[in-house]
Amino acid sequence: MHISDGILSGPVLAAGFGGAAVLATITMRRMDMEEIPKISVITAVFFVASLIHVPLGPSSVHLILNGLVGIVLGMRAFPAIMLGIILQAILFGHGGVSVIGVNTVMMGGGGLLAYGVWQLRHLFSFGHKEVIFGALAGGTGVLVSGLILSLALLTTGEEFAATAGLVLAAHVPIIIIETIVAGACAGFLMRVKPQILAGYRRQTPLAGASVGKAS
Amino acid sequence: MPLDIDRFAHLASPIQRWDPRFKTFSLGLFILGVALIKAIPLSGAALLVALLLVWMAGLPAHFVAGGVKWVLIFLLPFFLIMPLSYPGEPAFRIVGLPFAWEGLRLAVLIVLKAVAIVLTAYAIFGSSRFDVSMLALQRLKCPKIIVQMLLFTYRYVFVFLAEMRRMDTAMAARGFVKRADRRTLHVIGNFIGTLLIRSFERTERIYKAMLSKGYQGEFHSLVSFAADGTDWLKAAAALLVAAMLFGADALGVFRPAVLGWY
Repeated sequence: MHISDGILSGPVLAAGFGGAAVLATITMRRMDMEEIPKISVITAVFFVASLIHVPLGPSSVHLILNGLVGIVLGMRAFPAIMLGIILQAILFGHGGVSVIGVNTVMMGGGGLLAYGVWQLRHLFSFGHKEVIFGALAGGTGVLVSGLILSLALLTTGEEFAATAGLVLAAHVPIIIIETIVAGACAGFLMRVKPQILAGYRRQTPLAGASVGKAS
Repeated sequence: MPLDIDRFAHLASPIQRWDPRFKTFSLGLFILGVALIKAIPLSGAALLVALLLVWMAGLPAHFVAGGVKWVLIFLLPFFLIMPLSYPGEPAFRIVGLPFAWEGLRLAVLIVLKAVAIVLTAYAIFGSSRFDVSMLALQRLKCPKIIVQMLLFTYRYVFVFLAEMRRMDTAMAARGFVKRADRRTLHVIGNFIGTLLIRSFERTERIYKAMLSKGYQGEFHSLVSFAADGTDWLKAAAALLVAAMLFGADALGVFRPAVLGWY
């Protein structure tokens, strides 16, 4: 879900750019040279994967995947999503140059909260918890984005109240789709290459060394 | 979906010849000015200016229409939602639903502005090579690390697009058909996981290859910018138009869309 140009008011646009700058500065702290190509390449993967269309009734929707970005990149999900938004505004020609800030806060904020939900899995120990928390994180990403988008519309003016409500309602099927996809993907990555997941801890601690809270 | 926005950057026109630093800066401000306009005639004027820019850059109509089409599809519901949901006293009722002219005017304003901005973005980024546009952004004090990551991501988008198409073909060959069910979503989740793992292993190799070529956290470019009088003149003209539109709107030459058509 994206907001396009021409709808939001000046203060909301400015708040978007300001919020994006602040969050980007925080989430990009202590980034070393080696991370630059890695984050960029993973961003490219997500960019491409978000072009996948999923059938939904008679029509189809494309994936958003901001929750999954949080699961894989952790805090760095925010700069990654920002790159995706900027490229989308420039590359697709779908518009969105004036709303780069708002869209970044909306999608990136969802990604960060999804990462928070994903990390909660360390507090539990049961089988397939990666699938459950991956799914929760995937749903959280889209839900938070939908809430921020509705808030941006409401702040712009009360004439957008109905639109904000419709936008939230339209998010429900997408939340369900993203929940299932993110859960499946997190489970798959856990089985095949768990190091790729953010906040991964070794399952069997080495003798004598305690590596986190292993389940 | 065509992702190469700079396909027509090689054409010779006053827009293509415009120094990308000046072009990005002045037209970027123009975009922000347009985003804040509240009167319909002024947003119409902004749309005409944007059309003029695209026409001057010689970008073919079908190329630009590809992007504008999506914006219109996205914004079309507004023509229905806004007039029917505008708070306050409706002008009349259609089959029991309140219809407010204010809402319709707001929808018209939104669409005019959105299309004007999209067209201007085409004029900026469709008239210079992508790497040159990015270098221009860097010269305009956009953080170096972000510009570098944008260049990287852009380069690998095409690699993974090809990779995804290959995997798609392989899945189709094995008889996979997308349906609206849980299993399809499960398969897509695994598909993305596979794509991620392949890329993850690739990033290691990419990084080592870059180190061996002397990468030290800096990109070097053979492109150098040189601005002359005409670049300044074009930038001044663009900023003047932006200031006139924004100023006329702020001074209330025309009424805001909520209050009237003009």
